[in-house]
Amino acid sequence: MEELNLLKKLERVNAPSDFEQKVMAQLSLRKGKVQRVRYLRLSLAGAFSALIVFFIVLNFFILPSKSPEAFAEMERSAPATFRREMGREMDFRQRSVVRLIETVDYTGDIRTRTQEPPTVYLLEQVSDKTNRKIKY
Amino acid sequence: MDEQELIRQVQDGDEMAFAEIVRIYKNKIVNFLFQLTSDYQKAVELSQETFMRVYFKANKYKPVAPFSSWIYTIASNLAKTEMKKMRKSQAISLEEVQNTIPIEDTSNNPSDSGLVRNLREALSSLHPRYRIPVILKDVEGFSQEEIAEILNRPIGTVKARISRGRDYLKKELEKASCEMNQ
Repeated sequence: MEELNLLKKLERVNAPSDFEQKVMAQLSLRKGKVQRVRYLRLSLAGAFSALIVFFIVLNFFILPSKSPEAFAEMERSAPATFRREMGREMDFRQRSVVRLIETVDYTGDIRTRTQEPPTVYLLEQVSDKTNRKIKY
Repeated sequence: MDEQELIRQVQDGDEMAFAEIVRIYKNKIVNFLFQLTSDYQKAVELSQETFMRVYFKANKYKPVAPFSSWIYTIASNLAKTEMKKMRKSQAISLEEVQNTIPIEDTSNNPSDSGLVRNLREALSSLHPRYRIPVILKDVEGFSQEEIAEILNRPIGTVKARISRGRDYLKKELEKASCEMNQ
């Protein structure tokens, strides 16, 4: 176990004399950096939340989803002065609502393969000679 | 003032308490990191980083373990990372290697015999997995339980690593002494 005693004999070193000053100087530098990073993170989080709130308000309160009829009603009920200002001088009474949803009839496309009327075949055993069962 | 009280004050952002911790531990940590890295400048840099982490991660400290264990854990983790980097960088010039050894270590110290120099070389070649527990045990004087806590390893693993590390050092010293005799 000689090596253990030698390990204890290994030269010990001390910190340099200005070690504490350097650590404290580094601490104040790091503190400033940490503070800046914290502000940046907070401001980014704030901006992101504000953006989310803005989109929520825009989608649920300012631009609520309406049916085509409701939009048409809005246009009809808009004051004439407003319509003139918007450069859309039209006769709204004559204009009809274009429905975007149409019913589609696929019965003409989906047909039976044959045009013949449906037939029912009744198969019976007609011969007495065989005792085997007829296989259908 | 008690160390627990000091760290509690550091958790509240008290710089004076932090300065007191630096004053108490600076020599121990610099020496520990020097024994691990064999590079004084690197040891000083890593010690500074250790104290920075003590300040900024103070809230993570739980008083279930002694403060000394916690600070040595930080230091040994930093040293491990640094030693990995050092092992990766294969192309080291001889000049750089010579610069890592402090001047007073080789010439001015009368106790630095050939055997001690051989021991230091053997220690440098020992894998960090074994070097750290051996230094914590035989140089810093920690108990095996404390080392297990510092390294976050089971006590059996620590015992095995210390034993293997010592065996390796013994073999290396024997080899070196044989070479010297020839």
